[in-house]
Amino acid sequence: MNCEECHQNLSVFLDNELDSGLSAAVQTHLALCPECAKLCADFAMILETCGESPTDDILPPNSQALWCRINNLIETEIKTTPEPVKKGWFSRGWNFTFSQVGAAAVGIVLISVLLTIVGLRNYFEPTADDFTSRSTASQTTFEKVLSKVGLVETPQQARERRFREQQVAIDYWTKRVALRRAQWDGRMRDAFDRNLYVIDESVNEYNRLLQSNPEDELSGEMLDAVMTEKMNLLRAFSDL
Amino acid sequence: MIRNIKHRPGIIRVAKATISCVLAVTFIFSFGVRDTFGQRRFSRTYPAGKNVRLVLMNRSGMVTVTGWDRNEISISAYLELPAAQIAPQSLTDKIYINLVKDNQGRDVGSVNFEVRVPYEASVDIETTIGNLNVISVRGGLVRARINSDGDITLTNIGSATVAAENVTGNILFDGLIVDDGNYRFSSMQGRITLRIPFTASFRLVATAPSTRSIDLGTLGGGRMRLLSDGRRIVGQNGDGSAIISVTNQRGSIAFLKR
Repeated sequence: MNCEECHQNLSVFLDNELDSGLSAAVQTHLALCPECAKLCADFAMILETCGESPTDDILPPNSQALWCRINNLIETEIKTTPEPVKKGWFSRGWNFTFSQVGAAAVGIVLISVLLTIVGLRNYFEPTADDFTSRSTASQTTFEKVLSKVGLVETPQQARERRFREQQVAIDYWTKRVALRRAQWDGRMRDAFDRNLYVIDESVNEYNRLLQSNPEDELSGEMLDAVMTEKMNLLRAFSDL
Repeated sequence: MIRNIKHRPGIIRVAKATISCVLAVTFIFSFGVRDTFGQRRFSRTYPAGKNVRLVLMNRSGMVTVTGWDRNEISISAYLELPAAQIAPQSLTDKIYINLVKDNQGRDVGSVNFEVRVPYEASVDIETTIGNLNVISVRGGLVRARINSDGDITLTNIGSATVAAENVTGNILFDGLIVDDGNYRFSSMQGRITLRIPFTASFRLVATAPSTRSIDLGTLGGGRMRLLSDGRRIVGQNGDGSAIISVTNQRGSIAFLKR
């Protein structure tokens, strides 16, 4: 008899329900095989214990609670079981070369220095012209960078956009004035024409200056003010 | 002689006709004078708190607002013919007069206002043509705007917020610069003169792009600097708590010591 056959018949053997032939064979094998003998001894002890103690004695006082604890332990172990590592970019990418790490460090330093400079500049920047209109000179470095890449409009673009908006409003009020003008007396007409001429002279002057030097922010600011003044003049006279 | 005239009925007829003509011409001319040069007067007084606000929008004519030591607003207006309609509205802490709206589309003559307000009143006046004067007012706001021709004169002003704007004409401000105040003066063509205490605390932006004529006098010492080829002067006087902004597109700017 080999060990496997012995294991198959061991339980029946211990219950004394095996026929005499097989029983003798098992006994012979147990005498020759210490491992099967030990297994048989363990089984025998379990059976003996079960036979001697009633079931109530070996159950815990609160078996339901015990099962809950066991379930909790099992669930905890399942959760803490490490998931298999995904083979992604990072798992492969951590193997940087020395030059790559160096370049990354230099990049981080450069960005930090740039942000510090921008921050300091913005912090110490308030000058007397901070309550006048924005210009390229007063633009922060960050804004300039954004302007360069087209994320925000430059002061020139903003000025041109505003100029177009003002021109639309001026066209509207000019039409209103044309409708009202016939009702004015001569003094009103003279005053309107005279002042409109003065304003238009300034508009032409600033347009000339900006054509020759688009970076002339003061002329841009003054043009904006003059256009607003023109709009106010037209609106005031259209109400008469 | 009488007998002679009686015997000459032609002379009598001529005399009668002459007298009739003279009377007729005098009659017609007298009405014409009234239409051309005549004025009507409007006068009204309103009780007011010290912090009342006067809002007056005129079409044409001079407006003079003067502070006084009474809790009432007195409005006197002299209307040239054809007379404009004046309908002041007395609202809560506000007297509102808008001749532009009340006479829209009508051909009306100039209206010259003389208004008295409490010293602490705020004044907001505007006209299309004509001079604006504000005297001895120290309320929270003094604003004067002329939409075309006219001079603005603000004298003995103690307000924290002052704005004076015209297109063509002079602007004179003679008053105090209050801490944290805001003072803005703007003209297209003319002369802007500010008479202020040089010990006041303010930041200044003065811009005269066409003429570059900005006369600071002894103001600012070395704390003023020229920008944009001398078209603008920027600087600070004292702690710089108030803000003064002066822009004269085609005229000059001058500062006088008060």
